[in-house]
Amino acid sequence: MSYAITLTTHDNQQIDFTCEPDQTVQEAAEEAGFFLPALCKVGSCGSCLGRCTEGDYHLDRYSPSLLPENAREHGDILVCRTHPHSDLHITAPYNAAQIQSAENALRDAEIVSVELIAERTTRLVLQLLPDPEHGIAFEFEPGQFVELEVPELNLKRAYSIANTPNWAGRLEFLIRLQPLGQFSSYLQETAKAGQHIQVSAASGTFGVQEQSLAPRCFVAGGTGLAPFLSILQRMADWGEDHPTQLFVGVNNEQEIFCQDELAALEQAIPQLKVDICVWKPSATWTGFCGTPADALRAYLANADVLPDVFLCGPPLLVEAATHIAVDAGINPERIFCERFA
Amino acid sequence: MFCYQCEQTTRSESGDGCATAKGVCGKDSATADLQDLLVYAIKGIAQYAKRARALGKTDKAADGFILFGLFTTLTNVNFTASRFVSLVMEAAQHRDRVKALYEAAAQEQGITPEILTGAAAWIPATTQAELLIQSKLGAMNKDADTVGEDIVGLRAMMIYGIKGLAAYAHHAHALGYEDEEIYARLETALDFLANDPTDAGELLTGNLEVGAINLKVMELLDAANTGRFGQQEPANARISHVKGKAILVSGHDLQDLYTILEQTKDKGINVYTHGELLPAHAYPKLRSYSHLVGNYGGAWQNQNADFAAFPGAIVMTSNCLIEPAASYRQRIFTAGPVGWQGVRHITDDFTPVIQAALALAGFQEDEPERTLTVGFGHHAVLGVADKVIDAVKSGAIKHFFLIGGCDGAAPGRNYYTDVAEMAPKDTVVMTLGCGKYRFHEHDFGNIGGIPRLLDIGQCNDAYSAIQIASALAGAFECGVNDLPLSLMISWFEQKAVAVLLSLLSLGIRGIHLGPTLPAFLTPSVLAILVEKFDIRANGEPADDLAMALNKAA
Repeated sequence: MSYAITLTTHDNQQIDFTCEPDQTVQEAAEEAGFFLPALCKVGSCGSCLGRCTEGDYHLDRYSPSLLPENAREHGDILVCRTHPHSDLHITAPYNAAQIQSAENALRDAEIVSVELIAERTTRLVLQLLPDPEHGIAFEFEPGQFVELEVPELNLKRAYSIANTPNWAGRLEFLIRLQPLGQFSSYLQETAKAGQHIQVSAASGTFGVQEQSLAPRCFVAGGTGLAPFLSILQRMADWGEDHPTQLFVGVNNEQEIFCQDELAALEQAIPQLKVDICVWKPSATWTGFCGTPADALRAYLANADVLPDVFLCGPPLLVEAATHIAVDAGINPERIFCERFA
Repeated sequence: MFCYQCEQTTRSESGDGCATAKGVCGKDSATADLQDLLVYAIKGIAQYAKRARALGKTDKAADGFILFGLFTTLTNVNFTASRFVSLVMEAAQHRDRVKALYEAAAQEQGITPEILTGAAAWIPATTQAELLIQSKLGAMNKDADTVGEDIVGLRAMMIYGIKGLAAYAHHAHALGYEDEEIYARLETALDFLANDPTDAGELLTGNLEVGAINLKVMELLDAANTGRFGQQEPANARISHVKGKAILVSGHDLQDLYTILEQTKDKGINVYTHGELLPAHAYPKLRSYSHLVGNYGGAWQNQNADFAAFPGAIVMTSNCLIEPAASYRQRIFTAGPVGWQGVRHITDDFTPVIQAALALAGFQEDEPERTLTVGFGHHAVLGVADKVIDAVKSGAIKHFFLIGGCDGAAPGRNYYTDVAEMAPKDTVVMTLGCGKYRFHEHDFGNIGGIPRLLDIGQCNDAYSAIQIASALAGAFECGVNDLPLSLMISWFEQKAVAVLLSLLSLGIRGIHLGPTLPAFLTPSVLAILVEKFDIRANGEPADDLAMALNKAA
């Protein structure tokens, strides 16, 4: 038998479809012509996060860091992993406008450069190739991510876009090199300028809340800086005047990267303050010592107006910073997270 | 939030109007409340501007701001709460400057300046949260309990009409055309409303004055459009696409279209009009740009589908904007009074639009050519007046229907398609505004060489329609009300309110107004309009046609 699924978007639009028990809610929605935001569709990217407010279900296997136990207790689900046991009511964090009516095809891009910019940190620059449907344009919102795919190596990874939307078809990524990571070894050993790579359509709901006039506090762990570079560059281009604080955390000074970009952003956005937080600094380090979560705690203790808080980085940092923000009295609805899977 | 300024406003048994977190148009309550506060602040500018003017002093920047500021509050124009915070602050600065101007002039002339209260004395709060509390000052229904719904409705109709005329005046202003008499009368009307009038008779007079001012405004805009771009001439506008990179320009602003055409010439980009810019193809100076290739899409309410399918950049120069879908959010741009949070706003330099158009794929091939005929402004129609008059005298033309105003999503709007298509073959259908998109591809044929479907232009070309009607009345030595002419007005937003008030100010009777009557027209106010002007709600198309033709017989 099939169950009735009711999905309510962030802007209170409702879509209805039916789902068989052996289907995932994601598959059933697509069958009904609703392409809900999702990338990996195997429970490893977190882009299809929703909350089930009514009904029984079970989830297939997924990456546990995406859905901590307490979040599951509140009904958080990965739509791509959810099978109904009854009719379900699901709320989604995105607006109805983000639901597509057709699946997006992968785009071809050429590698422009792969460059080591700090210890264990690479910057990858891609140039989209023209196609009859899109030209060279690649449309995304600052804060969104894409999946990069190298079909011949059967590799697929999601990364936040580090540059701002542009009409040159240029995409930049900051990628942490993991010792045993497949994509890391691809970047270090195989990837060369001129080679092709495939790019999914942009996805994800992480980004500034455009209607909010509250100050913005961005907390980045390592390459979690990427979406904030995109967001800040747009703030600079559009002259947005929200008071803004950015904390960037690294383990040691050798890992610091993008200093020139951050200095340029501080010039372009007069109300922006950037603090690099070094967890294990040398004796000569004069900046903040500790994690960006520590820096966030100190900042919120002295804040006149509570900001909207945006967190991107390793799950442990995101969890810690979320607790700090909630303890400081920030409404959880004003805390926005992007966790590395 | 309380807003009932447009036709699609929430209707319910407990009372009409959008009063929840989000209006039907997509405007959230913070934006709606800040818009009310902006209108309040603008009344404060007008209070001082009127008095300064009486002492011979005027302030061009303040007058321009009044028009622009009011325009941003029309339906489907600007949805950006943060923009309204700045606009409210700007309004207070303009007011303070005009106040100083007035007080200095008074001192110079040995007069004791008046101490004004209300919006003139309001001090803006410094944060959005406090401004939202202050916004109650501007709420349309703030004293409904004491003055009653009729007074609230009459005030609403008057301010909505003012918003509409301000939008038209802003378009003229953008083309370099201004008129001090219009500013003077507009300031007086706003000053009248700033005092929260409670006399129904005075408010009715005030409403008709708004209609009369709007006639002057539409005349000015006609002069601006034709002065800058030449008299409208009948011409074919292509409505199928051609191969190549593309920009789509929507809204009403001919000046923005002109700027875009100038900035894109020799760039290998084709420019298309959308919605209410279709009549641009009738203006010789705009037509002369060979890369103005055609019109794309239907009326405004279909833009989600039309824009998603358009493979180029899109510019919205005035209403009607609806929430941009994710699929085209990056490639739609706003200009002038328009805004949507997270959508790129352009001020004069359309370079980002051009970059987008060049990056995007554009149309891959030509579509078979299809065209529409546009351009029957008063100049063109009166150019063949003799032929038209002869046709009426010989009985070849029995009746004229003017189907004017906006389109919208409401199912009741099929009424206008039915009226146009059911109108007998010996009648002529004149159109203006975007309501025509429902039926203008239908082949209506012609009567002795005169096309049966004559498109007069944009909604503001109601001025042209009035000119044509007046000329016909002159030729037949009768009043406009005695002509074999029926006016079927489809309204959606505040410009249509201004046009309606203009028609009423001319004493035109028997207008059919639909698809539904405005929520701000209370039963008692409607009864007055029915008595004075014989205003009619839409009935069944066949019955309304029969009634109209009976009048002609």
